[in-house]
Amino acid sequence: MKTATIVSAFVLFSHAALALADDAKPLALGSPAPQATAKLKNPADGKTITIADAKGPKGTLVVFTCNDCPFAKAWEQRIVELSNTYAKKGIGVVLINANDPSIAKSDTPDLIKARHQERAMSVPYVIDENQTVAKAFGASKTPEAFLFDKAGKLTYHGTIDDNHKEPDKVSKRYLKDALEAVSNGKAPAATETKSMGCGIKFKKVS
Amino acid sequence: MRGLSFALVALLFGGIAEAAPKIVPARLETVLGAIRKPGARAVLVNVWATWCEPCREEMPDIVRAYRAHKARGLRLVLVSSDDEEKQAEAEKFLASQGVDVDSFLKVGDDNDFINGLEPRWSGALPASFLYDGRGHLLAFWQRPITHRELTAKLTEALKRRNK
Repeated sequence: MKTATIVSAFVLFSHAALALADDAKPLALGSPAPQATAKLKNPADGKTITIADAKGPKGTLVVFTCNDCPFAKAWEQRIVELSNTYAKKGIGVVLINANDPSIAKSDTPDLIKARHQERAMSVPYVIDENQTVAKAFGASKTPEAFLFDKAGKLTYHGTIDDNHKEPDKVSKRYLKDALEAVSNGKAPAATETKSMGCGIKFKKVS
Repeated sequence: MRGLSFALVALLFGGIAEAAPKIVPARLETVLGAIRKPGARAVLVNVWATWCEPCREEMPDIVRAYRAHKARGLRLVLVSSDDEEKQAEAEKFLASQGVDVDSFLKVGDDNDFINGLEPRWSGALPASFLYDGRGHLLAFWQRPITHRELTAKLTEALKRRNK
């Protein structure tokens, strides 16, 4: 009996050990923004803001981004242009930096503030200090966009467009098309897209 | 003497070629082919890039784990997601790591590549995937992996009988 228990335990353990290690699920389409009242530090003005505060009358765009990832940098100007443009069209926007600055040295509050000024961002670029917002969204990389419609439901999740490297060779403007649709009260044609990106630098668990 | 010199040169170049294999630009189908090719008991795929610091940091552990398990039937497939003009830089990095395995540089649409390899993968780098000898996914990480956890998974995977 004891042997049987040990064997069962071993079989169970073996299966558990072979289970997929990483299965963090991103927020499902149709979901409301999680952690919408979590206070996010805005280095530009030293205040805090929540996703609920940033909510726009036509919808809300949340983009996880950072200062140093080559993909985030390649898309940065397009992210800022889309943010500034659609903020005027009723979309609330918040850009979130969730990287642990002890790992990602370019993502300190001072450097986030500087980037906000350099890029002339009209929208807040804030810090998810304890990474609860990124985790609740199931965000895993930068840049990664989540667009909520007027009713507050997730209606687009994914990348910016299909060519980070050459802006003039983009053929699918995923995020722009989704913003255009949502700001006109319509559903986006493409709802989930992917690109390579830099893994968010989560704090190391000791 | 001339024959010997020729043999030495051939050996030397052969040795270099083996130590620093060229990275082959590849679409998803080619990478899947390398995963499913018969002859391995387990296959570890690592997607990396020269610009990705955590990828560069974990590479020595990946290579070390591969060497420790190679004789027991582990195949390593490395896929660089660098832009094509960075191929030489990627090759140089792999040579510095002493990599001597199938190595690719992803070409084609990111969205199709990511979903084709594993729908649950977001595209975050680094990413590692462990398959059994028949190409069934056993484990996947979309974050840096530690030598310890990789070794534990490899040991389990190589103990397994392929079903």
